[in-house]
Amino acid sequence: MHWYRNDEPQGRFIGSTANMDIYAETYTNASARQKESTYRKADQEFIFSYGPASGMLESSEIDLFTPGEIINHVDVGTDVRKRILRLARSNPVDALMKIERINGFHGASHAICFISALEDAMDIIPDRKLQYNRIVQIECERIRSNLMVIERMAQAAGFGVPVNQLAFLREKMSRIIGRRGGHRYFFGVNSINNSCFNTEVIGKQTGSVAEDFNDIFRGLSESKLFINRLQDNGINRDSLSIGPAARASGMMHDARMDSGTLPYEDTSYAIVTNDEKDAYGRFMVRAEEIEVSSNIIKHLEKRCRDLGKYDYSMKDGEGMARVESPPGDLFCSVKIAGGKLESSGYIPPSIRNIESFRESMKGNIFTDFHFNWESYGIWVAEAGVVLQ
Amino acid sequence: MIKGLWFLRGLRKGIVTEKFPEVKPGEVALWSTALKGDGNPQCPVEAIVDGKWIFDRCIFCRKCLPSYAPNGNFNIFKVRKKEPSFNKSFHLFPFDSGACGACNAELHNIASPQYDMTRFGIFFTNTPRHADAIVIMGVWTQGMKKALDLALDAMPGPKLVIALGACAATGGIMGKGALAEEKYDVVIGGCPPNPYTILSALEKARGD
Repeated sequence: MHWYRNDEPQGRFIGSTANMDIYAETYTNASARQKESTYRKADQEFIFSYGPASGMLESSEIDLFTPGEIINHVDVGTDVRKRILRLARSNPVDALMKIERINGFHGASHAICFISALEDAMDIIPDRKLQYNRIVQIECERIRSNLMVIERMAQAAGFGVPVNQLAFLREKMSRIIGRRGGHRYFFGVNSINNSCFNTEVIGKQTGSVAEDFNDIFRGLSESKLFINRLQDNGINRDSLSIGPAARASGMMHDARMDSGTLPYEDTSYAIVTNDEKDAYGRFMVRAEEIEVSSNIIKHLEKRCRDLGKYDYSMKDGEGMARVESPPGDLFCSVKIAGGKLESSGYIPPSIRNIESFRESMKGNIFTDFHFNWESYGIWVAEAGVVLQ
Repeated sequence: MIKGLWFLRGLRKGIVTEKFPEVKPGEVALWSTALKGDGNPQCPVEAIVDGKWIFDRCIFCRKCLPSYAPNGNFNIFKVRKKEPSFNKSFHLFPFDSGACGACNAELHNIASPQYDMTRFGIFFTNTPRHADAIVIMGVWTQGMKKALDLALDAMPGPKLVIALGACAATGGIMGKGALAEEKYDVVIGGCPPNPYTILSALEKARGD
């Protein structure tokens, strides 16, 4: 293993797999860190249940505990659409097809994280060009994901024009991705020690999306109606939070800086943070990160052209990898024995983000819910997956 | 200055909606279109049997390359039952049984300005009671079974049951289909289906 070692906890806590606690630099045996909710409904409260089939983008089961207006407690059920993926004893190449489909909207992050863990186990050090190609893919995915989150926040405010303009840009990004990899969600684009994503002149196209977005961003930033719905809504004080939610609370939590899996150090990348801690802060961080991602792509596009065909041979071993997917840290671990997957671990960002959301929702009112939920960019699809 | 005036900002962008279906789409991601080829290459979901490609099983994983390759035809759907009474307005209830999010995003995309489903009289509804069709995405999951049964019961007739993508139709590589395949009136292939495929299938389902 190149990037992780079994040692005392070092660095921030990332999350837990079935048998390990993962930190930024090390892993330990699992502690009894995770606890069940002990909240009991008070006499004057009732439970407002939302979902599971609610017309939201995904199915999710949300229970709001309230005496009438203020939300005292929130439960988010992810088991309602639990998917069990049987990966044990399967060929790692076949397992990749399932991993890509854990969260299809973030298919590149998932595939690249899993492949990086496999390569780590197989002692493959990917060519720098290939690593840059992977960064370009993840940053394309981040631009589209951030557009989606901001679109959904604007939708909660009933802002038809920016919603449609953002949807237009999101579709434009999907076409850019589809044109270059043959698939709009990166399925089948990445494989062990290879990628078929064509990055030629991609920087100009993503730059044009970022430029168009800036115009919409200025409009939203000038709208008091919109800003008022976000400010002081869902204040995030979770010190373990990850991704844009953490950075919007002033924390420098970003796998692009503290994970060695992908060489972001070559991109002069700077972390975007904000001290607002609320949905407005998360909106600002996501908006600014679109520009940052666009700059990273421009910086790398020429450096990952003319990818070679890199060979590899299957080898037994253990590997771990962590990448910054659009909603935060995404971790994968694998153990290969006899050319088959013996075990695997997975920590999706939405598990932590759901916890941060639940805490931040306390004391808010009903009408804050939609804005706050969308601002975290949570995908229940990835939180409701069990690897076997 | 058009500061703060979204209406004017919208006008300034002009019309961006495409002329589909009168004009063929300029750009479709290849690996969401029909596969053509020869032989019986290895397929993880048995989407190629006796040299025949079965569209609703295919997850477009590229394992059949180079024997099979996409041909650009995005009309990969099957309509078993048409309902012409939905010709003027067609309300869809999206139902996520256990999807990865890609089908959800593509269905959402048909509302984006490039496609603009409302020009066809197609709308989303948040309740099955107001729905003409239920669009099921993702594999069967235990937790969503009751909700799916309730939604199907709550829909008024006439109604259509639509499978969106390989997972809902046949289970793809992730599990088993959300319903038995014969229960679907419309099956839309893809992993996920392309927005053009979705729109074409919806138009065909109401007899256009």
